[in-house]
Amino acid sequence: METIKADILILGSGGAGLFAALHAYDCNPHLKIVMATKGLVGKGGCSRMVQGGLNVVLNENDSIEKHFKDTLKGGGFINNQELAWTLVTDAPKAVHELEVKVGCFFDRGEDGRIHQKAFAGQSFDRTVHVADLTGIQIIGRMPDQIFARDITVLEETRGLDLLTAEDGNRVVGAVLSNIRTGEIFLVNAKVTIIATGGSASMFKISAPSFDKTGDGMAMCFRAGAEFVDMEMVQFHPTGLIAGKSRLNGSLLEEGLRGAGARLYNGLGERFMEKYDPEHLERSTRDRVARSNYMEIMAGRGTKNNGVYLDASHLGAAFVEEKFPGMVERVKDIGKDLAREKVEVTPTAHYQMGGAIIDTNCQSSLKGLLVAGEDAGGAHGANRLGGNGICDSTVYGRRAGDLAAELASQEHVLPYDEAEAEKIRMRWLRPMTQESRENIYPIRDEIENLMWENVGLVRTGNKIKEAIGRLDALLEKAGRASVENRFIRQYNLEWNNIIDVINLITVSRMVATSALYREESRGGHYREDFPKTDNSNWLINICQKRKDDTGIELTQKPVVLNRLKWEEIENIK
Amino acid sequence: MSDHLNIRLFRFNPEIDVEPRFEELQVPTFENMAILDVVMHIQNYLDRSLSFRFSCRVGMCGSCALYVNGRPRLACRTQVSALKTQNITIMPLPNLPIIRDLVVDMEPFFEKWKKIKPYYVSRKDIVDPVVVHPDSNEREFIDEMLDCIACGCCYGACSMAATNEEFLGPPALNRAYTLIADKRDAIRVERLKVVDKSYGVWRCHTQFNCSEVCPKNIVPTRSIQNLKKRCVLKKIGVFK
Repeated sequence: METIKADILILGSGGAGLFAALHAYDCNPHLKIVMATKGLVGKGGCSRMVQGGLNVVLNENDSIEKHFKDTLKGGGFINNQELAWTLVTDAPKAVHELEVKVGCFFDRGEDGRIHQKAFAGQSFDRTVHVADLTGIQIIGRMPDQIFARDITVLEETRGLDLLTAEDGNRVVGAVLSNIRTGEIFLVNAKVTIIATGGSASMFKISAPSFDKTGDGMAMCFRAGAEFVDMEMVQFHPTGLIAGKSRLNGSLLEEGLRGAGARLYNGLGERFMEKYDPEHLERSTRDRVARSNYMEIMAGRGTKNNGVYLDASHLGAAFVEEKFPGMVERVKDIGKDLAREKVEVTPTAHYQMGGAIIDTNCQSSLKGLLVAGEDAGGAHGANRLGGNGICDSTVYGRRAGDLAAELASQEHVLPYDEAEAEKIRMRWLRPMTQESRENIYPIRDEIENLMWENVGLVRTGNKIKEAIGRLDALLEKAGRASVENRFIRQYNLEWNNIIDVINLITVSRMVATSALYREESRGGHYREDFPKTDNSNWLINICQKRKDDTGIELTQKPVVLNRLKWEEIENIK
Repeated sequence: MSDHLNIRLFRFNPEIDVEPRFEELQVPTFENMAILDVVMHIQNYLDRSLSFRFSCRVGMCGSCALYVNGRPRLACRTQVSALKTQNITIMPLPNLPIIRDLVVDMEPFFEKWKKIKPYYVSRKDIVDPVVVHPDSNEREFIDEMLDCIACGCCYGACSMAATNEEFLGPPALNRAYTLIADKRDAIRVERLKVVDKSYGVWRCHTQFNCSEVCPKNIVPTRSIQNLKKRCVLKKIGVFK
């Protein structure tokens, strides 16, 4: 197998991966940094798709404490408070760096300073943005900074599995596949950073880019890393309904609700009056999404199983000026967002759960750092809109800094050759075995199963059923083979088989944790335990691999080191 | 809308095939169907060996540009109904080497992109986000040009790029404009020298092909003309 030696290997080129590369290089330009990305650089993943913007405290009337409390309140108070605190305190640094070093130019207000718009669940309007398609500006400019530095970028190259040192307790790189040529090779590195994003695409209706299939999380799981609160999946309340089109489930951004757009059910009732009379449509994503779902399930939905998002009363000129990207997207399905109501559905969006990290992105395994959506803890049970790209930039920077420091001190440890070969053979199997098992019906089955059994409203029995079926599907996907086995170059089917195996791997983690948490909180709602139970469940659910594919669960009380229990009681 | 489409699909594996071929397929239609839905349907259910590139599916990443019925378009943002015909020919983006089937190698595109020094270099005296009043015209039309998603549609449509290997092309020049016009940037003059070459801005013959196909409705010609103006101003010593 071809081997590349490196100081730092980064998987992923979204906000977290790009910032990690930039910071690691600027800390020490002598390091050999290899960044591998499944798509083209800066084009894959969801940072690029950020619409709304980035939450940051810039105004003197706002405060870090307020942003911190909003984040915890939104997260149902099971956030890792150190991670949440680091998020809000570093956010101003990240925005400063984006403007001054990277060259982004966020929208300005009348006073000529950076404009901050209203989002949901926040006590202050603090979301910086570029109109309603912010990600294009941020991720459009970051790769150019990478091009200006001596960083090796491997495009259309995906990680397959992490490599461990011969003694087994340290990550020393990864086995990768070059999608264009189909060649499998390895990078032997002192430090590996996982920043490939989550896998909300495991649900039938979902918002992320299709290349996000939980690869990083699945690799970390197989390598034995610890995870936290994997049951916490965010459903965004306003995904566009577009029938069988791939546009289905794509987002209409939260700023619309922030600006005053309303939600109505099929009977024309403004139903948020019933679920959250105080905040109405500006309630947090978990509540609004579940309210939408409840209305639809109660038979009060629209004809296409949705609810209506109505921005028309804000004035057509206002909507067209402030939300040009959204207007255009809706136009693709023949509707006019500025002048009429549009059918929307809850759509799977983000994973709050992920690999356990400390505030410098160090995972539970030596040599392995995790940043962005792959990591868990900062957002607790529900992420605030605008805290997502905030997370990837803040933690990408920190991962890069720590990686540079570690790489400067350490040596490249040899990998276990037998393990590397085993990994290669495993992922070559779809190209060599002749089972005729087709991956696409398996993928469709997972998406339906997760949506129906482990979606917005969950019950113990249905989750149990899902876990059983997921185990069977994992085995079935392992038997899948590629129809045309002679073409390795840019073979989508082969890659989709790998994607689906990773999706099932993460789905099992989500379902297992969802069965364990017998209460409702944030994105996790149990019909059989509908109440939030702070006396028993102010805990984090941790898990890691046991034996081959088994899962071992443990629970830990949430550490209330900054915001104490008495204060939390007062906030509520 | 008819219940099916007649698709002519470009197929080519440079490693194996002597020359490209066209595959003819019938694809059932549904409401809101985009070209991305068409190629995904084909790959999932009719011919699993097809290759194409995509990611975000909402017109933000610029990965899925294809040449559809004689015109570069984003697959995800091209509604089948907008083509107003049942007969659709799908080919890879022109002016770039083919990796396989509909996937092109974007390397030459980004090599040219890199030539104009696309990275922002902050002026030493700027230590904080600058104060810019929205009506000051300080930003000219930079921000709308920064909406470029580097999809390559304009590059595939440009007849100058097709016939001049050296020509920087509309996207790189457009990106150059956004930096040369940005008064916060420290190497504007250096960058202007790069584009003030015969294969730079002067190779643009203002045919507007780029602007006609841009899925983001950007007019790169406008950026290029502005750069030409700045080149002249530099020559007579009044570059701003």
